[in-house]
Amino acid sequence: MSDSKKEVQVTINGKQICVPSTLSVIQALWHAGYPRVQGVGCLEGVCGSCRVLVRRSDTQEVSMEMGCQTLVEEGMEVMFLVFPSPSQHTYTLEQIPNSWEVQTEFHKIFPEAQQCRNCHGCSVACPKGISVEKGVELAVKGRFKEAGDLFVECIMCDLCMTGCPEQIAPNRVGLFSRRVTAYFHARPSNLINRLEKIRTGELQIIKE
Amino acid sequence: MIDRANIGTTYREALKRYRPRDERPLPEPGIDDEKLLNKFHPDHIAESLTTLKVGINRGDPCHRQLADLLQSDSRINEADLAGAATVETDVLVIGGGGAGCTAALIAQQQGARVILATKLRLGDSNTVMAEGGIQASINKDDSPQFHYNDTIKAGHHQSVPDLVSQLVLDGPDVIRWLIQQGMQFDLDEFGDLLTRRAGGTSADRICFYRDYTGLEMMRVLREAVHNSNIDVWDYCPTVELLGDDLGGCSGAVISSLKNRKYIQVNAKAVIIATGGIGRMHLNGFPTSNHFGATGDGLILAYRMGAALRDLDSFQYHPTGLAHPFHLAGSLITEGVRSCGTYLLNSKGERFVDELSARDIVAASVIRECREGRGIVTDDNNCGVWLDIPGLELRQPGILQQRFPKLMRLGEKAEIDLTKKPLLIYPTLHYQNGGVVINENCETSIPGLFCTGEVTGGIHGRNRIMGNALLEIISFGRKAGMAAAQRRKKKRSSQLSIEHLNQLRRELTNMGLSMETEGPLLFPEYAKFDLDSDYAGLRRNRGSTS
Repeated sequence: MSDSKKEVQVTINGKQICVPSTLSVIQALWHAGYPRVQGVGCLEGVCGSCRVLVRRSDTQEVSMEMGCQTLVEEGMEVMFLVFPSPSQHTYTLEQIPNSWEVQTEFHKIFPEAQQCRNCHGCSVACPKGISVEKGVELAVKGRFKEAGDLFVECIMCDLCMTGCPEQIAPNRVGLFSRRVTAYFHARPSNLINRLEKIRTGELQIIKE
Repeated sequence: MIDRANIGTTYREALKRYRPRDERPLPEPGIDDEKLLNKFHPDHIAESLTTLKVGINRGDPCHRQLADLLQSDSRINEADLAGAATVETDVLVIGGGGAGCTAALIAQQQGARVILATKLRLGDSNTVMAEGGIQASINKDDSPQFHYNDTIKAGHHQSVPDLVSQLVLDGPDVIRWLIQQGMQFDLDEFGDLLTRRAGGTSADRICFYRDYTGLEMMRVLREAVHNSNIDVWDYCPTVELLGDDLGGCSGAVISSLKNRKYIQVNAKAVIIATGGIGRMHLNGFPTSNHFGATGDGLILAYRMGAALRDLDSFQYHPTGLAHPFHLAGSLITEGVRSCGTYLLNSKGERFVDELSARDIVAASVIRECREGRGIVTDDNNCGVWLDIPGLELRQPGILQQRFPKLMRLGEKAEIDLTKKPLLIYPTLHYQNGGVVINENCETSIPGLFCTGEVTGGIHGRNRIMGNALLEIISFGRKAGMAAAQRRKKKRSSQLSIEHLNQLRRELTNMGLSMETEGPLLFPEYAKFDLDSDYAGLRRNRGSTS
């Protein structure tokens, strides 16, 4: 069990601070009197806001993590990342005339996707351990269901975008793959049945 | 602080004694529900309640911490408006969660110019954290009527029947709309929607996507908003609404955190979708809520003269994590209990039907802890076991398949969920009451609409799982539709913050302190104020540590 009295020295955004070891990176900043709210979100690791670069004292390696989920450690260096400008890819699902045209439209919307040079930058950057590069490869081949399934845990933190030299916006490719799968292929008969019964007025409410 | 009598078995001792078992009998209930709630539910802590002294709800009971903000001074005065840039729009949406995004999307579709102003980033909200699912009666043995009955009963018969009726009949169409936005749901081998049961309900009615329902919903809605013509302003909290000479609301004053300047937005309709109050940490409870859930919308609407309701009724989710310390308050989805997970006290006994309404289960957990049958950690946190290993024993493989987010939590907490139970204690989760609305999300103030958790009346005094996600989409659509209708109207040309003068007069007359400024905007421990640097690169004046 953690000892709440123990203090550690960390460097966050270039400021040296001394804080209890039970705090997350965000809590540590607040504790030291830096009232950061930029990039603070759900504090549970699902909103993707608090992106940080982390280097631990025993290594030269830099990792990308979520600030609310990262506990401070002795000698740790942390840098908050600002959000990149939003990707230039825009589309609406309605612009895809039918499910035969998804692949064609995909390449119009994400023309860079097929230029992936397999540098693994996106997969390495992903704080959720998603096989991002594999997902892009599948989407390029038109295998959208398989591609989308890889992105179940994607929190849209855009770190893969930052890590991509071709500006593919891999997370948006993943989300596109997920959205077309639902939009064109989810047709639950139990739902359709119920909608029909409500439409015809067969099901009504007697209020108390 | 939380009134936990920290007596009980130590964490280490209890863990040593714990054995996974597949079956455990449910004991007879020893106390009736009303008595249980009165004695153990945090809403009934007498010292926490007060009576409102100013405003339209004068005389109504209210939680003390909320009352302090409802009766606080504004952050601005006339001089602040003099230098502010002015922007015109048809519809201003305040809040960037599920309700705000939905309202904005629909209003824009109707042809309105829309600005969406959000305190943090688009999608930073409680929606993204919702795990369990969304209610819609779609199964053969279920009906909208059963859904209606369950909602009314769980809300202790305090819900508004017309609102609930509209909600339940809209359920299936909400699911269809979400699928059309590209949201996935878990389906069976035939492509039908899978469902599970929520506590306190009579049928399997929760549609879900793993334990990531809110995340899936929010990333789809956010993508839809980003690909629309909606003008999104991030890091732009609203500090006041604008009134007009006809007694209506015609815009708002927004504070841009990026350059510390005020902007006046003139609008034909304003939709408040600011969510709840978890980060007020009522009664010192931890919360499962998002960083921005500080009740801002309630304060803004109340000053404008909009009526509120049920200001003394909050939901404490039964299963917040109580150990380890740095993750305390994190939510464990009710979905785990709807699949059949038991709650156990330090003796390894069940003590409540785990699928009772949330207020009953939460009160029962507090009772076990207060009467010495809880488990106490080294940090002096008390709780009971959520017997997840027992579930895995009965349904091998279910954790991996259905609860990936929970497994992640286990990893972070360094607890092997197939072998060890989790220690849980209730966490502040939801504001049951809020701004009074009608079926079109209109408040008592013309031009002012509210939708989502900021409103009251749908859930009565207790909400069932899955009705919040349904509400934000169902009523978000109504709000967007109704607000967009006002785009053709002529807006009053006499806009002001005159209503603040009346507020200040009333506060003075009642002898109330004007020291507190509202809305809160950020929890106290962030030490943030409007003159702070939002990137936290500069220390607050007077900070020593």
